[in-house]
This record gives sequence, C-alpha cells and structure tokens, in this order.
Amino acid sequence: MNINATLLAQAVVMIVFVAICWRYVYPPILATMQEREKKISDGLEAAKKADDSLEEAKLAFDKELDKAKADAAEILEKANNRASQIVNDASSKAEAEAEKILTAAATNIENETNKAKEELRQQMSDIIIETTQKILGDEVSKEKHEAILKKAAEEL
Amino acid sequence: MAKELTTESYIDHHLTNLTCGHVGMDESAGIYKSFWTCDPYMVDKMGFWAFHVDSLFWSVLLGGLFIFLFKKGMSKSTDSNTAPTGMQNFVEMCIEFVEDNVQSLFGSVKNTLIAPLALTVFVWILLMNLMDLVPVDFLPVLAGHIAYAVAGGSVDWITSPESFYFKVVPTTDPNITLGMAFAVFVLTIYYSITVKGLKNFVAELTLHPFGKWLIPVNFVLEMVNFIAKPISLGLRLFGNLYAGEMIFILIALMLFFSSIPIGVLGFGLHLVWALFHILIVALQAFIFMALTIAYLAMAHETEEH
Repeated sequence: MNINATLLAQAVVMIVFVAICWRYVYPPILATMQEREKKISDGLEAAKKADDSLEEAKLAFDKELDKAKADAAEILEKANNRASQIVNDASSKAEAEAEKILTAAATNIENETNKAKEELRQQMSDIIIETTQKILGDEVSKEKHEAILKKAAEEL
Repeated sequence: MAKELTTESYIDHHLTNLTCGHVGMDESAGIYKSFWTCDPYMVDKMGFWAFHVDSLFWSVLLGGLFIFLFKKGMSKSTDSNTAPTGMQNFVEMCIEFVEDNVQSLFGSVKNTLIAPLALTVFVWILLMNLMDLVPVDFLPVLAGHIAYAVAGGSVDWITSPESFYFKVVPTTDPNITLGMAFAVFVLTIYYSITVKGLKNFVAELTLHPFGKWLIPVNFVLEMVNFIAKPISLGLRLFGNLYAGEMIFILIALMLFFSSIPIGVLGFGLHLVWALFHILIVALQAFIFMALTIAYLAMAHETEEH
C-alpha cells in the first residue's frame, strides 16, 4: 500500500484516455445521437403536418361535397320547375286550342243553323206565297207583297 | 522459498502488488549495482520510483477496453438512419446518462471536455471495480502459474507460482484512485486559472472567509479545503473497493477451516456479498464521476467575494 510513482503513471494514463475519448470517441457518438434525435423530431413534426393537411383535405373535401350536393339540389329544383312549367305551358296551350276548336265549332254550328233557318224561312215564305197565290190567284204577287212577306219572315 | 500457506500469508498475498522499480545497491565490496527489478523483497529499496505493474496493467487494459467498446459499438452504424442495436444502445445509454448528469451539475457552462471526462471516469472505474467480482483467487493464481511457467527458470525471484504477486482490482490500489483524483485536481486547477483568471483564483484562496486582514489564516483554511477534495475523492473510492475486496478475501478464508458447513456458508456469503457489491461497484463509479463533474463545475464558477 505504498504511495509511489504508480500514482503519477495512473494520472498520465487517465489524461491520455480522457484525451482519446474527448478527441475520437465522444464527438462522433454525440453527433450521431443528436442527428438522429433531430431526424426523429423532424419526422414527428412531418407526421403531425401530414395529419393536419389530411384534416384540412378532409374539410375541403367535405366542403366540396356539400357544395356539389347543394348544386345538384339546385339543378334538380330548376329542372323540376322547368318541367312543370313546360307541362303547364303545354296543358294551357292545349286547353286554349281546345277552347278555340270548341268556339270555332260552336260558331260554325250557329252559322249553319242560321243558314238553315234562313233557308227554311225562305222556303217557307216561298211555299206560303205560292200557296197563297194558288188560293188567291194573281191577287197576291210576290213583288207586291214583298214588304209584308219580309216582315212575316222576320217575325218567324 | 514456497511459504507455508497460512491465513496471514494468504491475505498478504492478495494485498501485495507486483511492484517493479529501480534499485541501486551499494554492496559490501563497494561495487555499486543499479538495476530494474520486480522482486518483492526489493520493494523497500525502490523508494518512490516504483510502479505497481499489475494495477497499471489492468488499468490500461480496461481503459483500452472502454475505448474499444465505445469506438466499436458505434462504428457499425455511425449514420443516423438506422435504429441503434445491441452495443450501440448501451453506448448511447451511457452517453445519455453522462450528458444528463453533466447537464444537471454544469448547467449552462459550455465545456466540451467535461462530458468525455465524466464518461471515461465512469465507465473506466466501473470496469475496474467490476474486476472485484472475478473470484479472488482466480486471476492471481493463473498469473502466478503463467509467470512461473514462462520465467520460472530465468528470473531469480520467481521461485514458485506463489512468489509472483498479482493484484487484480486496480481501484483497491490507492495509487490508482489517488492518481485519477490527482488528474482531476490538475484539471480543476487548470480550469480555475483559465476560466476565472489567476487573480480571481488566488483571491478565492486567500480572501475567504475572513477578508483581507487574515490572509494567512484564509489561505490555510482554503488550502485544506482545496487539497481535501482530491484526497477524499481518491480515498473514498479506494476505501470502498478495498473493504469490498477484503471481505471477499475473508469469506474465501472460510475454506481454510475445511469443514463442509462453513464452506457452504462461505459459498452463500460470497453470493450475497457479490450481489451487494454490484451496488457498490456502480455506486462508487457514479460518485467519482459526479464529484469529478462537481469539482470541475466549481472551477468554472466565478463568485464575487
């Protein structure tokens, strides 16, 4: 247990080992560890960013989807409106046409009736005059009693 | 010269270093002989300039192992793209442990030497302390037999395997622990002077605690304080490991009683003590490291007095 030069030798040995560790061993290990630490934290950050952008994309997607749905609904409504308008237009047109046809038909009928009445009156007056002529002879002529006849015809 | 194996010689053998030194002898006829030797009977004549070859051998070997492990463990995948495996995990765990400790004790002061120093001190001392867990007789007896087989004929003082001393645990040698404490002490002085400046350093040693009118008293008090740090640092480690080693030796001595119950008890005690000693091994390595960092941190603090 003597104290001797071993002490100095050990001090020198220690300084040599510390120097080796300081110069060659420690820095590369620490550098590697710090580099990896940085890489991991970068990776985590990137993952977080990716998550965020995914969330953002989801939100944008939802928004687009809602907009598309709204657009579709609007288009559908427009189309429905248009369709019903067309149907309405068509039916009103058809009604009008029908009305027109009916009116025309009614007018026609009336005209025909009038014509027929006129003809009938004419024939009747003719028959009456003829008959009267035959009964009364030449006393009664068509020309002479034109005015009376006309009046009678109108009253008929 | 094979001594009879007694309790005393057994303990003695385990506590004696293989010491090599320079001897100068004035023999009776007036012939001055000067030579290097590792003869244990010459130890008294070697004076200060003797070396504990076994302690230094293990110290250098284990220091080299530390450098090798940490260099090798990292070199496989120095790029940061691959996940660390095996040895690299251990290396990084150690580095992180040391970095944490340096961070907590050193705070904001930037000194790139402190962490490598702390790492070296911690792992190296841990490895040296761990030699304590190798069965006490194994390596000394092996070394004795190898030395006797190799040099038994040519070296006059190796007369039997038992005459070759070989202490295995460097940290049970006060030279080793105090040597490391001394290196820390030198670094402390170096940083005290370079960081604080010589003036502040001297002021710290002389103007404290009693002001400038009692400079001699201050100096004596501060000097005791200053010197006590490295000595307590070295002796704490030495004391713990020496005591641990001593207990291993004493437990091993139970085999001398050549009775089976005591032998079994000795075996059990060995196991218990070895398990407990693992704690001391790691704890003392940690304490040495923490105090090294603390002393160097003190060297960086500039207090106003």
